Amino acid sequence: MSRKLLIDDVEIEVEDGLTLLQACELAGREVPRFCYHERLSIAGNCRMCLVQVDGMPKPVASCAMGVNDLRPTRDGTPNRVDTRTPLVKKAREGVMEFLLINHPLDCPICDQGGECDLQDQAMAYGGGGSRYDENKRAVDEKHLGPLIKTHMTRCIQCTRCVRFMTEIAGVEELGAAGRGEDMEITTYLEEGMLSELSANVVDLCPVGALTHRPWAHNARPWELRKTESIDAMDAVGSAIRVDTRGREVMRILPRTNEDVNEEWISDKTRHVADGLRTQRLDQPYVRINGKLQPASWDQALDAVADRLTATPANNIGAITGDLAGCEEVFALKDLMNRLDVVNLDCRADGEAINADHGRAGYLFNSSIAGLDEADAILLIGANPRTEAAVMNARILLSWRNSDLRIGVVGPAEDLGYDYDHIGASAADLARLADGSHPFAEVLKSAKRPMVIVGSAATARDDGASVYATAARIADAAMAGKDATWNAFNILHTAAGRVGAMDLGFLPSTNADQSASELDTVFLLGCDAPSISNLQAKFVVYLGTHGDIGAHKADVILPGATYTEKSVTYVNMEGRAQLTAKAAFAPGDAREDWKVIRALSDRVDKTLPYDDLEALRAAMYVAAPHLAQIGHLTPADAKATASLAKSDNGQLSDAPFEPAIDDFYLSNPIARASAVMAELSALRQTATKRTEAAE
Amino acid sequence: MSILSEIFSWWGGNTWGTRITLMCQGRFVGEDDDGNKYYEQRSGVGSMGMPRRWVTYKHQADPTRVPPEWHGWLHHTVNTPPTEEDYRPKPWQQEHRANMTGTAAAYRPSGSILTSDERPHATGDYQAWKPD
Amino acid sequence: MLADKDRIFTNIYGLHDVSLKGAMARGQWDGTKQILEFGHDEIIERVKASGLRGRGGAGFPTGLKWSFMPKEDPRPSYLVVNADESEPGSCKDREILRHDPHTLVEGCLIASFAMRAHACYVYFRGEYIREREAFQRAVDEAYEAGLIGKNNKNGWDFDLYVAHGAGAYICGEETALLESLEGKKGQPRMKPPFPAGSGLYGAPTTVNNVESIAVTPTILRRGAEWFAGLGIPNNTGTKLFQISGHVERPCVVEEEMGIPMRELLERHAGGVRGGWDNLLAVIPGGSSVPCLGTDMCQDITMDFDSLQKAKSGLGTAAVIVMDKSTDIIKAIGRLSYFYKHESCGQCTPCREGTGWMWRVMQRLERGEAEKHEIDMLFDVTKQVEGHTICALGDAAAWPIQGLIRNFRHVIEERIDAAQAARIAAE
Repeated sequence: MSRKLLIDDVEIEVEDGLTLLQACELAGREVPRFCYHERLSIAGNCRMCLVQVDGMPKPVASCAMGVNDLRPTRDGTPNRVDTRTPLVKKAREGVMEFLLINHPLDCPICDQGGECDLQDQAMAYGGGGSRYDENKRAVDEKHLGPLIKTHMTRCIQCTRCVRFMTEIAGVEELGAAGRGEDMEITTYLEEGMLSELSANVVDLCPVGALTHRPWAHNARPWELRKTESIDAMDAVGSAIRVDTRGREVMRILPRTNEDVNEEWISDKTRHVADGLRTQRLDQPYVRINGKLQPASWDQALDAVADRLTATPANNIGAITGDLAGCEEVFALKDLMNRLDVVNLDCRADGEAINADHGRAGYLFNSSIAGLDEADAILLIGANPRTEAAVMNARILLSWRNSDLRIGVVGPAEDLGYDYDHIGASAADLARLADGSHPFAEVLKSAKRPMVIVGSAATARDDGASVYATAARIADAAMAGKDATWNAFNILHTAAGRVGAMDLGFLPSTNADQSASELDTVFLLGCDAPSISNLQAKFVVYLGTHGDIGAHKADVILPGATYTEKSVTYVNMEGRAQLTAKAAFAPGDAREDWKVIRALSDRVDKTLPYDDLEALRAAMYVAAPHLAQIGHLTPADAKATASLAKSDNGQLSDAPFEPAIDDFYLSNPIARASAVMAELSALRQTATKRTEAAE
Repeated sequence: MSILSEIFSWWGGNTWGTRITLMCQGRFVGEDDDGNKYYEQRSGVGSMGMPRRWVTYKHQADPTRVPPEWHGWLHHTVNTPPTEEDYRPKPWQQEHRANMTGTAAAYRPSGSILTSDERPHATGDYQAWKPD
Repeated sequence: MLADKDRIFTNIYGLHDVSLKGAMARGQWDGTKQILEFGHDEIIERVKASGLRGRGGAGFPTGLKWSFMPKEDPRPSYLVVNADESEPGSCKDREILRHDPHTLVEGCLIASFAMRAHACYVYFRGEYIREREAFQRAVDEAYEAGLIGKNNKNGWDFDLYVAHGAGAYICGEETALLESLEGKKGQPRMKPPFPAGSGLYGAPTTVNNVESIAVTPTILRRGAEWFAGLGIPNNTGTKLFQISGHVERPCVVEEEMGIPMRELLERHAGGVRGGWDNLLAVIPGGSSVPCLGTDMCQDITMDFDSLQKAKSGLGTAAVIVMDKSTDIIKAIGRLSYFYKHESCGQCTPCREGTGWMWRVMQRLERGEAEKHEIDMLFDVTKQVEGHTICALGDAAAWPIQGLIRNFRHVIEERIDAAQAARIAAE
């Protein structure tokens, strides 16, 4: 149903359930607001969005008034809403004056300056000056941890941050203490905030009360060049904006992508920025007499080329890492194919996930937006809070707004929502598969069930069985339901994994040698912990940071990070997205595909593309869906059924291990970041304290 | 100073109008190290309710050429001109300099590309990894 | 003057037995079952016919309010009784709870029945500890006697819960009270949705004042016509008036609505201290209504409509009398401090405005202000009024508006005197 409204003499028809503020926006009228936010509950406390409604004696807070709440007019004409009358203007000026009487005039030293809602709205809707002659209120700073700097005197008590932490992040860490003028936003006893999403409150803060501590007083928004890009810290593929000054990444902010991250990003995504400028590989190195020596590109590439040509193809292997983009993976695969190398793999952690049954066998098929509709979720060896923090917020929201039931097989971690803990080990899966556990019934009766398997849950000896059993559970849950809904989901942790699997960077069927027996290994940004056990005689590392892979390497080729190159990442849903080059790689480092292209020249297997466009054209021929940037093509759901039949081995009763030991230190860039190290230490102390208290 | 420039400009010292005003009303008070001359109204008061005080510049008319000791007197902060008291600069006081902005002698911060000194070395915007 | 036979609260001064036995001897709990047999809607109709208006301050017709409750709803309905009597000057609920608690217990049962509620919460002001104990005793007695509870004598399963607040004025606002009752910080909710649609725990809820509920059993027992016959049209029935301040004998007294103020003061409170001519101002309805000057007090009657016409209000009928010895600016300034202290801080105009008004009032008290600041203060009160979520903003603004409207000359004289003193001192 819809109803008609007359907003400033513009007649529009609006859907039921909208608020007046949304209706005014549809009519093209801007309504100022501070406390209102589309994704948070309505508080209606800033009183900035007052409008005049015909037939109401007082101005109405448009954010809290639904169009359904308007009383129909006597003669049946549309309700009149005015946003520009003198009454409204005066009311807004009054509210603005109240907001400003206790707000310090420190805009010149405020980090919010230039992107401050209060500044902008004071210009647009405020009066000319203040009549307030009394002393201003001052409020103590609060300690909210290493990410958030507070200037509580600037706070206008909109409570957006409180609502975000409670409703989206799912931890009741922030609250308002005191009342009246003395109301202050604070954590309990000023404990630092520990949520993975905490820094989003800074974006929400309409004033400079909460600002980013790591880049405090570093840059002004108008000095920065903004580049829209994609995050690579996890497999969610959050939309981000990279702000750079010169070649330095100053900060990373979220962008809106309704289907993926809405408008939130995790603290790791945001504050990893300082990791992009420390521990960087900025020149090639070659190991001479057991010691890595600086080398020129010629020396380094020649050393690799000599080795590759001298070694039998069977003894060469290549492994891609978590952050490798599709372009370089494709180029490397192309090169290795030309060298007849078959020992390729992108699953550095040893996951059993494979592409034998089609794309649906390794994708998050129900899609992230599908979480909103799900009514039963089974998590198998997956901890979405650490593996995909932004996605976990979506599960939480869905759980809050509907009757969503959640079951967990794996460690009983605090996820922010209640769940049925079915068991800790793979053996407990059997009870779900044969339907003897009550949660199997929940999945069966659900309209939109989801089975989410953590990629790490398949990286064990019985991984293949876990993989197949999960598919069996999903297959049973899907039986006789909506055919467009695929309940089988893999929760990946690495941004580059799905892309590499799409490109088939997997051992070919006649690969006969395991990685440990290989003679020469090419690591494309691979820093998985298992690398340190590599027994190969000669290791080439193409990457960005001096991490596990670099220490192992005999030749280091410096590459570019995700902010320094334009590459395709396929997120866990199978959505191809492009990053943009926001800055140049440091020193002599080059974009990875160019390094591979240069190497191909030296081994006389020149790759037939000279620029990125040509490479992409070739890549799109190999994997056409990568060309559909930003779009999601559902994979054929038959994979689940065939996967379900694939393996029927024993499930061990060893408990599932967490995929990510430390949320803040899960990849080489994060490990180089001082901010992440600080957060990790803080988290560990807090965990110890909780354990001691228990 | 040529008579013409004295008639048609005001920035190179005093003008005829000033000269006549000073002749009629002014009492010479003193002269600073730069050679600027200071006068005070002989009788009556100005619009501020106090006797008016004037300065005529030796060189170009530039208020920043007035040294601090005379500045105080000229702005009625103090009543005694430095010539009538035993004025001595404090040991920590630097010699007075007029504002040099816009001239070759203007102040340049060390990082300025206009400075003639050697500029500090750029700090670099990343920290490179070094193998042990 | 109200005849003794027409009094509803027959033990308001605690002179008789407070227990269930005593209450029954005074006619309470008499024929409650027969009243319930009228049926849900008939009770509401009769309360409507009696013309009872809410006794909490706003004067909204009680029967009409009850009729807003949904008749068929899968959610449970709740009655919440507001015993968070914190308005400066008000002390009527206190007397009911202490001395005539059974009127309320019985009223809760009947009102809950009328709105098809099986549970009722009585929310006590934090400072009302003895009152809560007295009321709890009455509730226990009623449970024991099988008058309320599951399978009670009256044939309507009904549970009565006593909740105790922590002493915040704002929790007397109905939606803030509900928040507090749910265990959250007492801050008013946005309306709509109104409590009748979504109130306590998201279920349909009616919030009523103690007095409104406590008078219903008697109204239904004696008939709506009896109640409607008392008072004046549109302001029917009896009301507990609380007279405090500069009178000879401050008291709480039950009187007919529409009694002239002068008669009320002189007959029941022994008149203004030092005679009627010594009167300076009267706040007729508790701290949040504007005060009235002497000339207005002469003929005004104590009812909702005539006081509203005089730009004041009946409020809770807490009459605060001030004689000529009062520093009226200081008195109103003290009220400003109260509202500044009790503002919940949720919405901007009230949070920032109350502090501003109080600070200006402090300066006006000493005369350290300019005359144009009086107009500025009036403008600030207008900016607060009507722009807030709940009525506390209005309540904070009205006393100051009343002061400026009626006593502007006093403020100006104060400013002149202070300026003269300053000049003399220099």
